[in-house]
Amino acid sequence: MGKDNTADSTSLLSKNVKIDGEVQGPENLHIEGSVKGSIKLSGDIFVGNTGIVEADLEAKNIVIQGKVAGNVMAHKQLEIHPSGKLIGDCTSASIDIKEGAIFEGRSKMIKSAGLSAGSSAATKVSAPQSSKQHQS
Amino acid sequence: MPLFGKKKKENKSPRPQAALSQKKITPQKETTSQKETTYFGKNLKIKGRVSGNGNVIILGALDGEFNLKGRVKIAQPAKIKGEVKADVISVNGNVRGSLVARERVHLDQTARIEGQINTPNLSITEGASFDGEITMSGRSPQASKPADANAAPAFQNTAKSTPK
Repeated sequence: MGKDNTADSTSLLSKNVKIDGEVQGPENLHIEGSVKGSIKLSGDIFVGNTGIVEADLEAKNIVIQGKVAGNVMAHKQLEIHPSGKLIGDCTSASIDIKEGAIFEGRSKMIKSAGLSAGSSAATKVSAPQSSKQHQS
Repeated sequence: MPLFGKKKKENKSPRPQAALSQKKITPQKETTSQKETTYFGKNLKIKGRVSGNGNVIILGALDGEFNLKGRVKIAQPAKIKGEVKADVISVNGNVRGSLVARERVHLDQTARIEGQINTPNLSITEGASFDGEITMSGRSPQASKPADANAAPAFQNTAKSTPK
């Protein structure tokens, strides 16, 4: 994670470890293992390549490089990288989906003060022409 | 002073004592090696079950169960409520519940345990506090030196042969 993280420190859940339950706190979390339940952090969440998340996520910035099945709320930005897969709804102020990513669900933008954009848009976005390469 | 300066240079986050930097990795790294240590920072609150293979260092709060094939290091200011099951458990924080180790348990100076410990091997550093029951139904009699110096009287509860 080269960018600046929101919270002071980052926790790491490594590949073979699994959390089944709720996680919360003012921390960043880097997930390489699997999580089932819910994660609500006031920091960032980074789901790595081997991360498998079956949970609702809520954080400032969320970056998905692995698999997420659940609803996602990013108060600032949601990024889905080419190897990432999100099945679920997302709500964020800014969204960045790289080519090759898989996203199936609804997307809702958090309106910032100045925007007069319309109401929630239900878009179904799946991977473009590079077809659904199942990045497993 | 120089230690402080060194800490500052390493990373901006307030790190716990250098005592546990043994296994510590800078969590900012992205190297996905097989046996990387899971690190739960001091602000992280987990409610539920943590299981898997590998080593874990926990500084935050856990309310639930821990079932790990590997080493667990519970460092200050961790507060664990529930059961911790692992191969090696090293405690330097608060635990209310039970510690079940397959190999050994080590209580450090600032460890505060309320509950049960079940382990074939035990070591307690002076200063630790342990209120509870200990059983040492070890796997084999020659499994290294049986540490008989327990804080609480050892009730040989043979009905509880746990070694997994």
